[in-house]
Amino acid sequence: MKEKFWRWLDGSREYLEDASDMDETPYREREEVKTQIRERNDSLDKRRGTRAVIRAEEKGFRLLYSWVAVISAIFLIGVLLYVVSYLPRYGQENPQTTLVARRYLEDGVRETGAINAVAGMILDYRAFDTLGESHVLFTALVCVMILLEKDRKNMRRGYEDYYRITGEGFYTPNRDGIMQAAGFVLLPSILLFGIYILLNGQNGPGGGFSGGTVLGSGLIIFTMAFGFDTVDRIASRRLLKGVTVVALGFYSFAKGYVFFTGANGLESHIPKGTPGAILSGGLILPLDIAVGLVVACTMFGFYSLFRRGSIGGKGKACSGKKAGTGAGTKAEGKDNA
Amino acid sequence: MGEWIRFFIVAALLLLALACFASAVLGVWRFGYVMNRMHAAGIGDSLGIFCVAAALFIAGGPSWEEAKALLLVFFLWFTSPVSTHFLGQVEFFNSPDLPVYAAAGKEEGDGSRRNGNC
Amino acid sequence: MALGVTEIVKILLLVLLIVCAISVNVTRSLLQSVIIFMAYSSIMCILWIFMESPDLAITEAAVGAGVSGVLFLLTLRRIREEDEDSSEDDGNTDF
Repeated sequence: MKEKFWRWLDGSREYLEDASDMDETPYREREEVKTQIRERNDSLDKRRGTRAVIRAEEKGFRLLYSWVAVISAIFLIGVLLYVVSYLPRYGQENPQTTLVARRYLEDGVRETGAINAVAGMILDYRAFDTLGESHVLFTALVCVMILLEKDRKNMRRGYEDYYRITGEGFYTPNRDGIMQAAGFVLLPSILLFGIYILLNGQNGPGGGFSGGTVLGSGLIIFTMAFGFDTVDRIASRRLLKGVTVVALGFYSFAKGYVFFTGANGLESHIPKGTPGAILSGGLILPLDIAVGLVVACTMFGFYSLFRRGSIGGKGKACSGKKAGTGAGTKAEGKDNA
Repeated sequence: MGEWIRFFIVAALLLLALACFASAVLGVWRFGYVMNRMHAAGIGDSLGIFCVAAALFIAGGPSWEEAKALLLVFFLWFTSPVSTHFLGQVEFFNSPDLPVYAAAGKEEGDGSRRNGNC
Repeated sequence: MALGVTEIVKILLLVLLIVCAISVNVTRSLLQSVIIFMAYSSIMCILWIFMESPDLAITEAAVGAGVSGVLFLLTLRRIREEDEDSSEDDGNTDF
């Protein structure tokens, strides 16, 4: 009962253990539907005349489509140019629109404690936007999970695990010595660079999004070099999920606290620190770290979902499948030829 | 005098780098077969980049920025052969007529035919 | 009006940007479209640096040229395998 509850909380499902466990009915149903559609199309052809009519219809539709596309594009370009003609000239200062920018640039360091004005803007003055962006990323990850995650009903042939479970060969460059050697040398520097960008957001160029994407790219290269079996030990499903949720929750609570205490002229109890040090800028550094972790987890989750249809490891329920994995890697290179 | 020697060394290195990149562009443009094009691109990626970085190192004198540039070259020397290796592996596993090229040793042919669908 | 070297490079990059943006749509092969899109991202990254916003340049290089390219290529592979599964050959698959 308790285990069931935890599984429900965890969101994990029952995964396939074995090739004999595979449910082939979706394929058969799909094939049947396809043949039905083909037969119906053939009968429709017979009833309505030859295929040439349909071809002509398609041709006319394509012509109409291209013309409508061109006309709407020209209309849109005209509207945009009309709006652009009202903007101030390039390089010329517009006093009405630069008031806010001047306030940010002149008083930004004193008010936010960040030397990098961009970090001060996106994580202090307008941190609510960044919170929304993080949630957009999270929502995108959830949508991709809904669409692509494999379970008993969504087991397509495009996933690598299909070939592993069925024992067929699937070409993966995971056990490539050259890539592993390169990853051995390059990965520490890439991850270190990502962490440097992440922690240095308030002092120089960088911040949450850039550092997070570099970290995510490092994880992707890690996967390419050493395979999913190795990465699952580090970035398991539970860890990725926990990190994402904790980071988003921390962002929301911290920023809510600041909005309620500091943004209305009240005293905020978070020290600003000396500008230029790593521990400065008040809440900017923790928020940067939170955003970066969310972005990194999202990037790696996208890659993992697109490539094999599941995020992170499969938990403890399915860890004992080394035999199928070995067969899959042994027969590599045969399938994709 | 020393300035002039430095200038000539820098100019020679930059011209060499330019020649490398020119040959790389020409090779990628003109060669018909994937492997040859990969080789041509690799020349610009390795020797051309190194020549540019070395010229900058000599021109600017030893400093941290130049050391960073040399680190960049180190990075590129790791990444470029790996990507080339993977491209070659894909070509090796996917091309049906690779043995023909290997046996005949010709570089022209209908290799460009598969540009579109590979 | 005298053009500096920086201006000329900027104009060249902008022209290349437009060419890339058009040829992404025009190209028949999906793989070539993806590669041109990655080139577009790289050019945009250099332009961000010219516009003095290195934050965006780092993000553009990592996301536009790196991660989204990888995702596009994975999607292409999946599409092709699904097409190989279904044996309908109407000539619609042009990549």
